[in-house]
Amino acid sequence: MKSKKNSIKKQPFSPWVALGVVLVTLFAVLCLLPLIYMIAVSFTDSETLYIKFKDLRPDLYNYWYAIVKRDFGTALKNSIIVVTGSCLLVDIVSAMAAYGFEKKPVPGKEALFQGYLATMMIPGQVILIPMFVMINRAGLTNTYSALILPMVGAFGIFLMRQFMVAVPNELLEAAEIDGCGEVRRFVTIVLPLVQPALITLTIFTFNAAWNNFLWPLIINTRSEMRVLPVTMSTLSSNSTTNYGMVMAGATLTFLFPFVLYVFLQKQFVEGIALGGVKG
Amino acid sequence: MTVAGRARRRVSPRTRRQIIIGLLYILPSFVLMMTFNVIPIFLSAFFSFTKYNMASPPEWIGLDNYARLFTNRVLTESLSNTVRYVLITVPAQTVLSLLIAVFIAEHMKTRYGSLMRSVIFIPVIVSLIASATVWNIMYQPKGGLINQLLEFLGAQPVNFLGKKASALPSVAVVAIWKGTGYYMVIYYAGVMNIPTDVREAAIVDGATPVQRFFHITLPLLRPITYMIVTLGIIGSFQVFDLVYKMTGGGPGRSTYTVAYVIYTFAFQDKNYGYASAVAICLLVVILLIHLIQTVCFKEKDEVKQA
Repeated sequence: MKSKKNSIKKQPFSPWVALGVVLVTLFAVLCLLPLIYMIAVSFTDSETLYIKFKDLRPDLYNYWYAIVKRDFGTALKNSIIVVTGSCLLVDIVSAMAAYGFEKKPVPGKEALFQGYLATMMIPGQVILIPMFVMINRAGLTNTYSALILPMVGAFGIFLMRQFMVAVPNELLEAAEIDGCGEVRRFVTIVLPLVQPALITLTIFTFNAAWNNFLWPLIINTRSEMRVLPVTMSTLSSNSTTNYGMVMAGATLTFLFPFVLYVFLQKQFVEGIALGGVKG
Repeated sequence: MTVAGRARRRVSPRTRRQIIIGLLYILPSFVLMMTFNVIPIFLSAFFSFTKYNMASPPEWIGLDNYARLFTNRVLTESLSNTVRYVLITVPAQTVLSLLIAVFIAEHMKTRYGSLMRSVIFIPVIVSLIASATVWNIMYQPKGGLINQLLEFLGAQPVNFLGKKASALPSVAVVAIWKGTGYYMVIYYAGVMNIPTDVREAAIVDGATPVQRFFHITLPLLRPITYMIVTLGIIGSFQVFDLVYKMTGGGPGRSTYTVAYVIYTFAFQDKNYGYASAVAICLLVVILLIHLIQTVCFKEKDEVKQA
């Protein structure tokens, strides 16, 4: 068995393979280059883009300027609140729904579940205008709720249900016989068992909420309620040529998902590979 | 029949309790899904038959909005731009991600290969607005990174985003940069799912790597390719953030896209009824793409079974 595997691994060296490795490496460099440039300019004290060594300033002045003078602090705070709220809400609501669909004898649940899945095909622009009207009517513009509540979607419930199948019914029945109540069973048995799915869902919700742009742009128009991408979008249109500060803002926006990616790379990639993810 | 029917109707108190508890678990998701996903579609359909600016109640005008769709120059231009954008981004990101995934899976099963995969995925996590900002600065005619490089090579600087011919492809490049890693991850998982003995048999039979790619790997990856092309078309059809930040639809109307037009009709012109009609057409197009994909899938499955 092992020797067979080696037969695929070890093929005679060929110049074509070497060329392929070089091309893949080149593509990876092209992927990183804009981000390296972004970080480099964010540490540059310059109004032109010709970076010279004498313009490099290894301090956080541009970051300080973006956060304190250009509202990035407020935006950062808003983004963190919205992301935290979204992750909590989506995790709880999706896990509850998945448990109800998978483990409870609700009549007509499969039809409802198919209905949920069908909503994944709806493009965001189609529901944008009615949602704008509804949130306006409800007086929820310029609130965190307006950004958090619409984050619940069929994808999370679908993902949780995939993992809920693996929770053994015998375990739940045994716990019930032992006198373990409904809520306690859900919290102390089911949730720990589906923890990997909860982590994956948290990553997806984090990214979706952190990068969400069009909806926050139209619904939270007051400057003290803006989130990071919206503040980012107002920056360079203000006719500033302070590229260092703009790039510091972009780096800040990039930093949080990047740290998450470094630590939870496996979950990121597995979640996407699971397929059917909303692009 | 009647016995079974009666048995089904006689629900034990325990089961009834379980049903009620189950409903309570599903209820929060039901309320949110109805409010933010289902009701808005019907409202959108309703608005599309009205004249509506939010200041006064919607006024029913029948099919007027739809009748004015196809004579609108802005709309037909944006549609052709969007199709052009799809035709640039989807083939490029599909082919790139396929080649990279297959090559890494076959020839770079090392630490270095997995490092390359991790690096190529990084642009996926950058927000569209941050990507647009960085690339805007890279595209600057004076001193942008790309033009610095062109200058270094002795070429004339190019105003990438300021020229009608180059603006849309320049936006598409950013989408390809950001999207390839995402699709590569899906393809890579697909290649790893191909049983090793299938590929081994081909090697034993003396098939060259190119023959293996076209006769084994590619056909086995066909369902994934369908999915990736569908996801790609739908994603590209809805491009908004990049256009908003990078070009604002310009120069002229050369980068107006369908999603951008919906935004301007609704939130700049306050013409919510007309914008809704455009949105409903977008929905129909996207549902059609889904339908075509499902039909293709079914046919392939039947061929396989036969």
